[in-house]
Amino acid sequence: MKVNIYEFTEKNKRDSYLLILFFFLALIFIAWLIGEIFAPDLSLLLVIFAFLYCSFDTLISYFYGDKIVLASVRARKANPQNPKEKMLIDVVEELSLAAGIKKMPQVYIMPGSDINAFATGRDPENSSVCVTEGALYNLNRSELSGVIGHEITHIRNYDVRIMTLIATLIGVIGLLSYMLVNSLAFGGGRRKEEEGEGWLILVAFLIALVTPIVSGIAQAMLSRRREFLADMGSADLTKNPEGLASALEKIKEMNEGKLNVSESVSHLFFTDPNKSPLDELFATHPPLDERIKVLRSL
Amino acid sequence: MPWLLIIGIVVVIALVIIYYINQIQVLSNQIENSWAQIEVQLQRRAELIPNLVNVVKGYAKHEKEVFENVTKARAAMMQATGRAEKIRASDQLSTALKSLFAVVENYPELKANQNFLALQEELTNTENKIAYARQFYNDAVLRYNNMITTIPGVWFAGGRKPKEYLEAPKGETAPPKVEF
Repeated sequence: MKVNIYEFTEKNKRDSYLLILFFFLALIFIAWLIGEIFAPDLSLLLVIFAFLYCSFDTLISYFYGDKIVLASVRARKANPQNPKEKMLIDVVEELSLAAGIKKMPQVYIMPGSDINAFATGRDPENSSVCVTEGALYNLNRSELSGVIGHEITHIRNYDVRIMTLIATLIGVIGLLSYMLVNSLAFGGGRRKEEEGEGWLILVAFLIALVTPIVSGIAQAMLSRRREFLADMGSADLTKNPEGLASALEKIKEMNEGKLNVSESVSHLFFTDPNKSPLDELFATHPPLDERIKVLRSL
Repeated sequence: MPWLLIIGIVVVIALVIIYYINQIQVLSNQIENSWAQIEVQLQRRAELIPNLVNVVKGYAKHEKEVFENVTKARAAMMQATGRAEKIRASDQLSTALKSLFAVVENYPELKANQNFLALQEELTNTENKIAYARQFYNDAVLRYNNMITTIPGVWFAGGRKPKEYLEAPKGETAPPKVEF
């Protein structure tokens, strides 16, 4: 486990670059397809435009993704004058020390009575941890340490970078393929007979439909593996798996799935913020019972 | 052509040597940094204790023995020299503090005192930071020792000796985390 964590961190850093590359290629391909179908003369221009747009979007999400995510859940900075919030800041400080993170993450609080938390940022020195009011007031110190240990592991392993990138990029892919499907449905028919390029439209249509689904499934799979690893990392840092297990029990009993957050950031969270009878395939988190069982078996 | 090849090989070898020498130094710095962290926290805890004793005394005058134990353990820790000795003294102080907080359970008014609660959180925080920094210290020592005793690190270690771990208190595998 010890040695693997360092290898895993390197792999995560590599993956985040691959992800950006894949995203670029996918978007440029979609731009080219749109160009080929609607305006072959302008397709080069479209590709250049798409490239610039992606660069801009990636840079923004790399440097400001954390701020955007924090703002979107209406998070505010924790106040050390409040005893509960002071305890939270202390716990974050303790676990950063345990993980050997040089600069402790900034601590935020978001509204909501459900117990939940997430971490964001581009690297361990530029990161933030955010917990819900529900977590702050319902968890005791050792349960809170378990949850924060989980988030600190995400930060140390560079999960936050990859997860924040995914959150913003998936949003853009979804938007673009939605646009493609819409424009095909309304204006695609005309050229089909003239040029005999019906196959191109069919392919475009399929790609536009399939891309969001595939990226959703892939994201969910990667996310579930990370969640398990972060649970293990937390147990390793706190040497007290029971704290985290007991926090998960409370979540099972108390959470109502009413946290108001958008789908694109839901996978950042400690446990699924939107309880839905969704297909297992799309679940970004392993089932709570399974997580508790694994922790108690350590 | 053969010259280029030779230069290339020399450059690669030089880079490998630089990498390992740096890596050994980085690991050694990690150990020293986490020790510095531990010392900062030991100092902080020593500063908090007189305040704590004063606040508790205001409510629980008769628990003389507990106060004496804490004060004695604190003095012993201040005088300790060397890492192993400091850690041993620190563990004794932790035990004394634990029994002080156990006594507090009998004084509900004290447990409602804001000043006391703030001090309790501060002390829990420093105790835990000491424990976590020790954990990280030992992890760093493990990585360092592995590096300088296994091939290829051992070739670049220049006869450096493995560093000693900070011992955990008797009967425990990890430094204790507390919730007073």
